[in-house]
Amino acid sequence: MRRAGIVTYLIAVVSVVVLCYGTASAAKKDTRKLCADCHKEVAGFFDKKRVHKPVAGGQCTACHNPHASKHKNLIGESRDELCYGCHKKDKLLKGNVVHQPVVEGLCLECHASHSSDKRALLKGAEAELCFGCHKKENIEGKKFVHPEVRKGRCTTCHDPHGSTLEGLIVKNNMCISCHKGGSKTLRAAHSGLNVSGTRCLSCHSPHSSDNRGIIKANVHAPFAEGKCNVCHRQGSKEIVKADYTMCLDCHENSMQSFYKRYNHLMAGKDDNFCADCHTPHASDERALLRDREDKTCWQCHEDTRSLTHSARYIHPDLKNCLDCHVSHGSNARYMLAAGDNTCSMEGCHPSQGRFTHPVGDDAIDPRSREPMNCSTCHNPMGSPEEFILRAGKVMELCIKCHQI
Amino acid sequence: MYKVSSNIVNIPRLRPLVVALLLVALWANGAIGAETKRVRLVSLIAIDEFMGRLKEPGGLFYDGTKKRLYVADSGNKRLVSFDEEFRYLSELSHRGFSIPISIVKTSAGEFYITDAKTGEIKFVDVKNKAIVPLKIKGLDGKKKFVAGRLSLDEKENLVVTDRLNKRILVLKRDGTLVRAIEPELKGLYGFSDVKVDSRGYIYAVDTIGRKVYIFDNTGRLVRRFGTGNNELMRFPVSVAVDSRGYVYVLDRHSGRILVFNDKGVLQYLLLRKGVSPGELYNPGYIYIDGKNRIYTIDGNRVQIFLEGD
Repeated sequence: MRRAGIVTYLIAVVSVVVLCYGTASAAKKDTRKLCADCHKEVAGFFDKKRVHKPVAGGQCTACHNPHASKHKNLIGESRDELCYGCHKKDKLLKGNVVHQPVVEGLCLECHASHSSDKRALLKGAEAELCFGCHKKENIEGKKFVHPEVRKGRCTTCHDPHGSTLEGLIVKNNMCISCHKGGSKTLRAAHSGLNVSGTRCLSCHSPHSSDNRGIIKANVHAPFAEGKCNVCHRQGSKEIVKADYTMCLDCHENSMQSFYKRYNHLMAGKDDNFCADCHTPHASDERALLRDREDKTCWQCHEDTRSLTHSARYIHPDLKNCLDCHVSHGSNARYMLAAGDNTCSMEGCHPSQGRFTHPVGDDAIDPRSREPMNCSTCHNPMGSPEEFILRAGKVMELCIKCHQI
Repeated sequence: MYKVSSNIVNIPRLRPLVVALLLVALWANGAIGAETKRVRLVSLIAIDEFMGRLKEPGGLFYDGTKKRLYVADSGNKRLVSFDEEFRYLSELSHRGFSIPISIVKTSAGEFYITDAKTGEIKFVDVKNKAIVPLKIKGLDGKKKFVAGRLSLDEKENLVVTDRLNKRILVLKRDGTLVRAIEPELKGLYGFSDVKVDSRGYIYAVDTIGRKVYIFDNTGRLVRRFGTGNNELMRFPVSVAVDSRGYVYVLDRHSGRILVFNDKGVLQYLLLRKGVSPGELYNPGYIYIDGKNRIYTIDGNRVQIFLEGD
């Protein structure tokens, strides 16, 4: 009996070892010839300059399941999981700013899975791939184009996967890796000033512009006229006044737009609250905003950014904050441009209050005892519910006021 | 024996310990486990047959001696008074009230308001029915002074936030500067609201910096606290202090009141987000009177609460 037990045990151990070895060797087995018997396109994979390593090794089954799969093209796992099996995610994503296709696992939007004539198995020329999503005319459609952009080398400055820096920028102080801060050429272009340590993008577009020197589209008048000493000490980067009073010397009248019930009269990050939103030199945005509207606002309204980013449904124009809100001040709550009539402004929602639920002074919300308006039922900043409703459209919303 | 590692979290057996320590630290700081206490809605002021509807009220003040509540009804450009049961009594309208956003009353019966339309402090001369802008004396004239929220200290000096200059000014009632509290601290964006306790300690809140600052009666910073990027303190807009020294922080985005002890440790929460009576949707101001009644301004309504059932 004891001997029989030992024999059974040995058979079991040997079987397991053989099974494991068999499985492992199957995965590494060169199946190219076998697959190519039916898949004639396989031969074409090797006509290209660069072949994906598993393809080169004939390991079709590294990615494809030869029998069945719930994924398209008999892929063994979902596309992103499959790629990250070999291409380690943490090495690929170098920071918390991640390119959207990477977030969505759309590796094959840019990369070919089998072979390519381009580096990194790209499906096409680098810039052309980028322009598939990022409008070409916005990037290089202006008169003066950054040389790297003209050459289509987007990845000189941007990491296509992930970065620690906004805009997927490869590294801090990106510009000075080519444009040496203290160089004679650079000084000459900046009235003899050493501009190292300054933020190049506060004046220059990194892509293209209709202004010489790729200066951004909208330029502060003294800057355009070369009157640097309006704000700076002669021959120096040092500013004449460190706080908002420098701006008010010329823009005193702007203060009136702040004197409202709700306003942005708040000291801000530094001593000059104007500079929290506006740049003193040049900008591609209206009113010389430092950045895109939403990004400018989110500098302070971080909580709102989180809310909108986590919402399933958002207002389609949410990035254009100033379409609805006033930036300096308003007597209307939320600093809305036209109070309760903001939604019907400029023909956005002309039917507001006409064929929908009554709003205004004749429709009092029984909960708050305030006149109803669009935002009684909709949350324009974002909602988990369709039509950015404040509650489910099937009854849940209505019964907040209408008892059943 | 554990192999010495520079990254202690990488030692699997120590991970639970590290997590536990982290949780204890958060708990000790009040960041987790804070309960929501019950409050009783004492009164809700929004609309009245005689008063009409409040419109974007900015601030309020309760006179414990006269038992009167005064509300700066900004949108209607008036001051409105209520009796001790919060029934409408009367109103004072004047063309000088452009947009009154904050109000205090001294024991001598003098009213002071701040006006968002001009950024000034104004003295309300009730007898002569005149509104007189207060001239600030002794202030550096190079900087522009824009008055924000107003409070009274134990000596009945005016304590006001200077919105553009990250400072709080303590002024005599004739406008003479007593002191400017101007902490030069990293991460300070400016003060949105200010209150003073019976000792003369000044409590101020920085909305964007998400911090509460406490200064003693000489203007020295004694404590600064907040929950940083915490879910709890999302957009703190107003602050008040009760007779126990507990600090009440009104959070606009979460629709809650966060109650801290004087050391800055979160004790409990009050209220919840919503538009129904007893809830807060877009609150802007909190005030606590001598009887520890909590007043909130939320949209076009004033709600008065008492803690407990």
